[in-house]
Amino acid sequence: MVLSEFAGISMPDWIDAIIRVMFIVALMTIIAFALIYLERKILARLQARVGPTRTGPIGTLQSIADALKLVTKEDVRPITADRWAFELAPYMAFVPVFLVFVPMPFTETWFIRDLNLGLLFVFGVLGLNIVGVVMAAWGSDNKYALLGGVRAAAQAISYEIPMLLIIVAVVMVAASRLAIDGDASAAGSINAIVGDQTTTPYLLLQPLGFAIFLIGMLAELHRPPFDMPIAESEVVGGYFVEYSGMRWGMFFLAEYTALFLLVVLASSLFLGGWNWPFGADVGLGLQIVLTFVKTSVMIVLVIGSRALFPRLRIDQLMAFSWKVLLPFAIVQVLANGIILAYGGADWVVGLVSFALLVALGGLVYYLMNQKKGAGTRTVQTTPATPRVITAPEVTPVEAGGD
Amino acid sequence: MEDGVTATQVVFWILAVVMLVSAIGVVTAGNIVYAALFFIAALAGVAGIYLILTVEFLALVQLLVYGSAVVILILFALMLTRARERPQALFGRSRPIGIAASLGLLAALIGGIVATTWTTPATSSAIQPVGLQTIGDAIFTIWIVPFIIVGVLLSIALDGAIMLASPDEDDN
Repeated sequence: MVLSEFAGISMPDWIDAIIRVMFIVALMTIIAFALIYLERKILARLQARVGPTRTGPIGTLQSIADALKLVTKEDVRPITADRWAFELAPYMAFVPVFLVFVPMPFTETWFIRDLNLGLLFVFGVLGLNIVGVVMAAWGSDNKYALLGGVRAAAQAISYEIPMLLIIVAVVMVAASRLAIDGDASAAGSINAIVGDQTTTPYLLLQPLGFAIFLIGMLAELHRPPFDMPIAESEVVGGYFVEYSGMRWGMFFLAEYTALFLLVVLASSLFLGGWNWPFGADVGLGLQIVLTFVKTSVMIVLVIGSRALFPRLRIDQLMAFSWKVLLPFAIVQVLANGIILAYGGADWVVGLVSFALLVALGGLVYYLMNQKKGAGTRTVQTTPATPRVITAPEVTPVEAGGD
Repeated sequence: MEDGVTATQVVFWILAVVMLVSAIGVVTAGNIVYAALFFIAALAGVAGIYLILTVEFLALVQLLVYGSAVVILILFALMLTRARERPQALFGRSRPIGIAASLGLLAALIGGIVATTWTTPATSSAIQPVGLQTIGDAIFTIWIVPFIIVGVLLSIALDGAIMLASPDEDDN
């Protein structure tokens, strides 16, 4: 969408750019407010509560009240914190997420820019978010913050790899389908991928991809069951434990915006975005409704997962990424490559991916019902005998394990 | 475009200053985490230069690869050094050797740049953007053997790291 055409007036590029940036900022804030309210309400419902009711009609102004509280709250910096890392970390975590808005297609023509490398852009820029997290963790000079930050870094880097491989698999499918129209090189653009899903959402072609993308998304967002980096009962809130006021608010803004953007990405890649099932001709009004509905369903899924799943352990999380998701993602890429290279039909691609998904489900079911210590190495999390905390000169009792 | 300063030149000079300052920061920061953070700023500057040269793909790969890599670097710095304690002394006994080595490298680089005859494009608009397709075709047809060798080498390195890091099975 070129704004100057939209508004019917001509303007220099830089004003156009500034307007787009301001548009993103406004949209982002509204989305974060809405998501925080929704999360409170949905979680409350799942836990047989009613959630916020007092502020505004059925509590809808709760997020605004929260924001006002955060803005007026004192911004505390611990005296031993590293000044520069501590103060700059929220921005470093926030700006990359903000940039990911650029290639997201909300309707056929509503996006900031349709980048030909949109998918790569999303992951290349979103990955920088973790630098801010590590800066916050190290700069806070707090052991819990550092533990949370190191967990977050390990988790983000581990889950990025299966997610990127799945994106490769999706792009392979998209490229060979778009090649029929003679433009396979557009397959890196998110809008082109959505444009190809008029009749078939890629969920049918790549069900395994959708599953791995969802799991990786939960891990990237530090959502339960993968919320070890910010688990209150383990690391008292993780990397932002020392933050207060608006800096803390910026971490949350970044997190909720990332949630929204990844959900939009997932619905564009796998659920047909603005396109499926009505096609491109229904007009912009219906397209944005379609995007909204698909995004909302997935947001409810993601938020609901917080109340439905228990938290994993960090070693289970890493093992799951490297030993289960990564091999399956590689097999999916290989399978797609072989099938598409020999000109296999779409239903073959979908069937193979579905078979892989069933295999993944079966494996996860088998691993979960395994007897303790049968195949996996048990990790002893607590010392065999309690440590004497008050006497530091006593060396800790042998921690057991291996 | 007239003789005046173009937008591209302004962006280039901003990026150049950012890169130089961060590069100097990498080597002069006493704190190893600061050095790593300066490093990512310098690498982001390189990504910006790629953008100016219209190779968006390289710019994004630069961010994707080095973003994660620098985070790992910071983690290693935290685990293997005492970054929290007072800044390390930058200069030791080997200072003269370091100065000589860096001056030698500088001389070699300047010599190389001066000695090379650069082919200048006819006009500034003659820069052809390199498409992703071109890069892909080049990697997977002409350079396929080096590509596979690099892949095998990296997997061997990964396996080796896992072997070194995993606890001995006999110790139980």
